[in-house]
Amino acid sequence: MSDLAMSTTKPTRSSKSSISSNIRIAKNAVMSVAGLKKSYFKGQLEVPVLKGVDLEINTGDFTTIIGQSGSGKSTLLHLLGTLDAPDAGEIYFNEQRIDVLPSRKKEALRNSEFGMIFQFYHLLPELTTLENVLVPKMVQDGFFTYLYNKREYKRKATELLEMVGMGHRLRHKPNELSGGEMQRTAIARSLISEPSVLLADEPTGNLDSENGKEVLDTLTALRKNENLTVVMVTHDESLADKSDKVIRLVNGVVE
Amino acid sequence: MYKLLLSWRYLRTRFIALASIVSVTLGVATLIVVNSVMAGFVDQMKNRLHGILSDIEIEAPLMSDIPDPELHADVVRQIIGDDLQDLTCVVRSHALLSFEFHGRPWTQHVILLGIDDETFGKVTDFEPYLTNEIKKERFNFTLEETGYTRFDRAGWPYRREKAQSKRDFDRMMREHDQLYNQAAQQYVDNHPLQQPDGSPATQSAQNNEPVKFEFAPLPAMTPNINNAFPVENDPSDANDLAENQTQPPQHLPGQTVMMSPFDPHAHLRDKVNLEDLFDPMRDQHAGIVLGMAISEKKSLDEDGNPIDVHMLLPGDDVQMMFLSAGQQMRAVSEEFTVVDFYSSNMHEYDSSFAFVPLSKLQKLRGMVDPLSKVGSVSAIQIKLKAGADLDAVRDKLKAEFPGAEYYDIRTWQDTQRPLLSAVQLELTILNILLFLIIAVAGFGILATFFMIVVEKTRDIGILKALGAPSGGVMSIFLGYGMSLGIVGTGVGIVLGLVFVNYINQVADLVGWLTGREVFDPQFYFFSEIPTIVSPTMVLLVALGAIMIAVLASVLPALRAARLHPVEALRYE
Repeated sequence: MSDLAMSTTKPTRSSKSSISSNIRIAKNAVMSVAGLKKSYFKGQLEVPVLKGVDLEINTGDFTTIIGQSGSGKSTLLHLLGTLDAPDAGEIYFNEQRIDVLPSRKKEALRNSEFGMIFQFYHLLPELTTLENVLVPKMVQDGFFTYLYNKREYKRKATELLEMVGMGHRLRHKPNELSGGEMQRTAIARSLISEPSVLLADEPTGNLDSENGKEVLDTLTALRKNENLTVVMVTHDESLADKSDKVIRLVNGVVE
Repeated sequence: MYKLLLSWRYLRTRFIALASIVSVTLGVATLIVVNSVMAGFVDQMKNRLHGILSDIEIEAPLMSDIPDPELHADVVRQIIGDDLQDLTCVVRSHALLSFEFHGRPWTQHVILLGIDDETFGKVTDFEPYLTNEIKKERFNFTLEETGYTRFDRAGWPYRREKAQSKRDFDRMMREHDQLYNQAAQQYVDNHPLQQPDGSPATQSAQNNEPVKFEFAPLPAMTPNINNAFPVENDPSDANDLAENQTQPPQHLPGQTVMMSPFDPHAHLRDKVNLEDLFDPMRDQHAGIVLGMAISEKKSLDEDGNPIDVHMLLPGDDVQMMFLSAGQQMRAVSEEFTVVDFYSSNMHEYDSSFAFVPLSKLQKLRGMVDPLSKVGSVSAIQIKLKAGADLDAVRDKLKAEFPGAEYYDIRTWQDTQRPLLSAVQLELTILNILLFLIIAVAGFGILATFFMIVVEKTRDIGILKALGAPSGGVMSIFLGYGMSLGIVGTGVGIVLGLVFVNYINQVADLVGWLTGREVFDPQFYFFSEIPTIVSPTMVLLVALGAIMIAVLASVLPALRAARLHPVEALRYE
């Protein structure tokens, strides 16, 4: 719980007044966010989701962002993963501001620096398990580069799938897999590009407790083995105890 | 890579999209079939149109003459140079053909062409379309003994048979007349004329001999048969052979002949055997080659099947009436003997052309200069070497031929321009219409693709989350559209080519199914449907169809590319 206490104090240090280019970033922070605001429109009505969020994510930490449904935690994760652009505020990755990058650079970031895991697994239904894991590599490489490296990629993908316990289902399509298996495949996919940050959006949200536990174990094990930074978003308080740092999001602000 | 993989997977898993390209397939197949058959027909038609039209023709305007054809020919040779293959001169005249069929007189307008039997066949495709096997090899204007394979009886055997039966008939009629006269005489003898009062007519009773009429004797003369039947001794004109062969019967000098004012030849009737002058059993008039359709009519036999009735056969004589050349026109009438038929299966030609020897026609029309003995012609026909540019040579002639503005210089295509351009227009419109079918298929693809993009929204979000650029997502759907187009077009090409290959069998099958013959060789004059598959055409059709498929997928692909990743991922 000491971790939790520490983390909750950190964002408050960088208060609203300090939102500027010379913001002090902790040396060991792989990602940091300052004054982040985002609203959605429902017709004419503006719905503010994030109302000025400041936080830091330390290298090698397993950070959990906990919030109730509608607290804006998924939006925060999307913003971290550059899938969406904030209305105001700044996002830093390795001391580089990434929310204003051209889309081509953002795509490269998503492809190789961030690994993403979703609540609904989001596998491509037409592709086999192995192919699904290979998709980030296919996106990354041109046609001939990919063909040239194909053998190496396949070996690596198989390794990853074996690591998450999916080695026996390489040729199966997603609709032949269980929820846990699909999520483990998604984890393997998120790791194929050797990312520095893993962004997980309620990875256990759609799984029963046993499968959920298995997935969570995989994630924590990864963090230890690969020295990977993991950011997980969840509404489940019980998942927080395994993390190094817990960030609570309430009504669009960090508590 | 993912673009190809996903395009390929979508193609394999979305069969409904394949349904949307069935119309592409059908459109492509139809285009190929229609274009191939039309190309076949046009090719056949052009061959036939070209038929007796030479490559280029220099015609004297307004039906007047070219006075010195050799001089003109020399100039033409000089201008055209190496491209010239051959040239020939023709005389062209409108004429009225008349003949008897089943005792009924038939008359028909024809275009009479005086042709040189040596060179005409070299300049135009004349000989291959003749019916006589011998004349196909080497054309001349004499009637043949054999070789008329198309007719049951024709040529000299038929002519002799016909002359013999005519002779027999005449003899029978004479005998009939004699019998009748004898019977009438007997009746008159047995029934003497009576006066109204019943007494026998005195005169006839007294004088039983019939009344005789006598004419005052005319001055005695010795007829000169050679004058009475002038025969020109022109050895070059082989077609006058029949007349040259005629040996007039010799009359004894000093013999007195009575001439009747009603029948100036009556005194010759007994002395001269007319058959010695012109015996249809042995002699022919100048030869004529008639278009097949001139003397042919369609009819039905007893079973109701259409048959061709030949009103004339090779060996028959026909009467030809035409105008003489020059300012003072007069009608000329002459008999010709049908020696063969011209059957190009182009009805326009077969029903209007008749060919006679050039020199004969020049003589009959008075086109031979009395001093120089040079015959003038109506037109000079030119054949160029294969591969020569007709239009270029025509333009050269127009530019360099002295006094070209007074002549009508044109290629065969110029002559047939209305028909050719009509066919071209027809082909163009057909192509546009059929491409519209493929365009309709394009809208089908458009609609299907919008559905697929909606269905694939989440996948698009995933790909974007994994770092795929908008362009990549777009090219998935463009590639998908293109592969659909390629598959549809490929199947269409195969279908079309197979259909073209077996088109006659297909026509037979359809004919058998519907009980009505689709392609009746009798009306089209082809034994089977002609087809020409042009690789360029197939390629263009394929490219066009694929283009349409790609264009139709542009809008859905753009929509897919513009999807916002977060919203796409939230889509459930």
